[in-house]
Amino acid sequence: MMGISSLVSKTDSIYKNTSIAPLIIFRIIFGALMLFGISRFLYKGWVQQLYIDPQYHFGYYGFEWVNPLEGSLMYIPFVLMIVASIFIIVGFLYRYSAFVFFICFTYVELLDKTNYLNHYYFVSLMSFLMVLVPANRYFSIDAMLWTRIKRTTTQQWHIGILKFQLAVVYIFAGIAKLNSDWLLDAQPLKTWLQAHHNIPVVGGLLQEEWVAYVFSWFGCGYDLFIVFFLLGRKYRKYAYVFVVVFHFITWCLFPIGVFPWVMIFSTIIFFSIEFHEIVLNWFLKLFKQSALVVEDVKSIDKRKLTLYFVSLYVVIQLLVPFRYVLYSGDLFWNEEGYRFSWRVMLMHKEGYATFYLVDSKTGRESEINNAKFLTRTQEDQMATQPDMILQYAQILKNHYDGKTLHYGNSHFKINNPEIHARIYVSLNGRRSQLFVDKKHDLTTLKYDLKHRNWVEPFKK
Amino acid sequence: MIKNLFKYLVVIIAFVSITAGCKKPAVETPDFDKAELLGNVAANIVLPSLNDFDAKLSALKLSFEVFEADRTLANLEVVRIDWKATYSSWQTIKIFDFGPVLVNGFKGSTGTFPSDTTQIQSNISNGGYNLASASNVDAIGLSALDYLLYQPTALDDFVNNTSYTVYTSELIEKIINELTVVNSAWTSYRSTFIASTGTETTSAFSLLINEFNKDYELSKNAKLGIPLGKQSLGIQLPEYIEARNSAYSFDLLRHSMISLQGLYNGDINSSSGSGVGFHEYLIHLERSDLANDINSKFNSIIAKIDSFQNSFEIEMASNQSELDELYNLIQQQVVNLKTDMTSAFGVLITYQDNDGD
Repeated sequence: MMGISSLVSKTDSIYKNTSIAPLIIFRIIFGALMLFGISRFLYKGWVQQLYIDPQYHFGYYGFEWVNPLEGSLMYIPFVLMIVASIFIIVGFLYRYSAFVFFICFTYVELLDKTNYLNHYYFVSLMSFLMVLVPANRYFSIDAMLWTRIKRTTTQQWHIGILKFQLAVVYIFAGIAKLNSDWLLDAQPLKTWLQAHHNIPVVGGLLQEEWVAYVFSWFGCGYDLFIVFFLLGRKYRKYAYVFVVVFHFITWCLFPIGVFPWVMIFSTIIFFSIEFHEIVLNWFLKLFKQSALVVEDVKSIDKRKLTLYFVSLYVVIQLLVPFRYVLYSGDLFWNEEGYRFSWRVMLMHKEGYATFYLVDSKTGRESEINNAKFLTRTQEDQMATQPDMILQYAQILKNHYDGKTLHYGNSHFKINNPEIHARIYVSLNGRRSQLFVDKKHDLTTLKYDLKHRNWVEPFKK
Repeated sequence: MIKNLFKYLVVIIAFVSITAGCKKPAVETPDFDKAELLGNVAANIVLPSLNDFDAKLSALKLSFEVFEADRTLANLEVVRIDWKATYSSWQTIKIFDFGPVLVNGFKGSTGTFPSDTTQIQSNISNGGYNLASASNVDAIGLSALDYLLYQPTALDDFVNNTSYTVYTSELIEKIINELTVVNSAWTSYRSTFIASTGTETTSAFSLLINEFNKDYELSKNAKLGIPLGKQSLGIQLPEYIEARNSAYSFDLLRHSMISLQGLYNGDINSSSGSGVGFHEYLIHLERSDLANDINSKFNSIIAKIDSFQNSFEIEMASNQSELDELYNLIQQQVVNLKTDMTSAFGVLITYQDNDGD
């Protein structure tokens, strides 16, 4: 495959300079997408709903110290992101702006794994990469104010690493689809598509089984190969039509927010330098500036450290999605090594979790009303994800430990309570199966990254 | 090489489309239409139930007026019978806590239990109450009528205390007035409801599924679990029993389960999926195993309820293990409805963006 190798492995060429136009255009696109995405997030009232309203948050392993800001202060990172994305668009204090955006976005994402989305992870990574690349060296306020930074060229890897990141998203999303539910049963698409049978004209087709198979196989093939078609000059135009059509369809059918637009616009970076220069010159003309004249593209600035760092990043990106092989058991069922691996629109999981508070002294038990502690979304996510189940058990234990409960004329001083749960989960249209047996005291189970043998085995 | 890849892809897609398309042409299931389901629910379940509730309420109002004019035990018994019929009819309405019912807070004001008898008594003796205020939500509705009509000195209070009678008639009047608003709103909401077949959380179909599940769980918890002590370390809480004074609790639980099963079957009188409902949708999705399990579980639940001879309160004191069995049956059905059925329909329950995990 020419794809990946042309992006990363030719160590000589990654230092070779190239026209800065693609980087500049990408800076503007990225900033504009983020401005739109964050504004939409605010407009939908999600800051309140996801970060202010919930009483508890499900932190990531090792990042439990990341806590939300008090009440309305939680809007601060979002306002900062709005400002930062405007600054990114116009290239003002670019590196600081990109850094502020990266920190704020990642901070918000680390608050609660309930809200984990692959495309949020993608934005975190992209904004991190944007800090590394000098996308303000042309057509920016920075370059106007500090003319010494102005360049018409940039190093290959500055653009290559962005293409690499997009390639990783697509290719790993494709690899993730190479499983029997997706390919042989057309699940979960069979379930999701038929739900749209009232769409005019095409609705009837969407409840046909063969359509689900076509969507599944096409989606898989698209994810696996689209990058290679985008890289080659010959098929790029047709490939991009596929990109637009594919993401437009997903936008119509599934509630995946701005992600389709992020991909449609981000993949423009695969276009030729000439294309980017035409667009950039159009912008320049708009602002009555002279057209870009690219200087000699000779090789400069060979820094070993950069090479090591970029290589390390690439290796991590290539390994992390495969970490699931370290775990035994079913990946979709146990979700060990599931996140941060580009498993997008891959499964439909629904759970019903009944938690029990057990007073160890008397052996008496109470069913917990989950709605008293969690939001609807948190409860839904928790019910199917083992790590969150343990976190919730801990939340319950901390809540009840030391409390005196009064019922009628009886009262119970709760000390060191046990928390049990009986959980059923349905995966990709199957009948639900026992997920967690009531016999375990969840408070005694270790919350770590080891294989969780207390989750009932999955029966196909 | 890329050209070959492209060709290869086209061949795969073509191959899969053809083979998958030809797989079982003979057993082609007929298309299912959610719009038809919603139309059926509106025309044959929601609107007739509202009319039925309206008729039962009118009868209650009428018999109460007769009783007001001539306050005898015989006349009070007629009021009680009409109240029971009204409360039973309510078990269907309370499922539809969206659209006009939700907007007008009808479920809360009519169906909240248990009642705060101290609040009711203080309203009656002090007067000057505002039945619409939030502080009186536990002093109104069908559950408050259970207390007013059935508490041990009810007849004496009706005979001797005008405020007691006035309060009772005001409660009936309040439900009638609110129902009039809901009824007329449903007439115009009907077309919105039927047209809203999308998959987004605000679509009528999603609302219907969600409220169906919520109401089922509410019946499980409020009518059964909480009084049985399921949420209070096993300490029974008889003060939480629904319709405790009239000892009508089992009937209400039974009506609630029958209504939910009727909605599931798309026909309020059916236990076999004779209308266009969730049952038929599941059959269309080739999930007849699940569909039949749901109906047989409903049947077992109702049979179990029918097996109790005494009032809920008496059974609770003497026969907890049988009630536990009933509770377990009802709980097992939650998995069928909330997890398996809901996921089979591909209904999304989160408001946020989603990437399918």
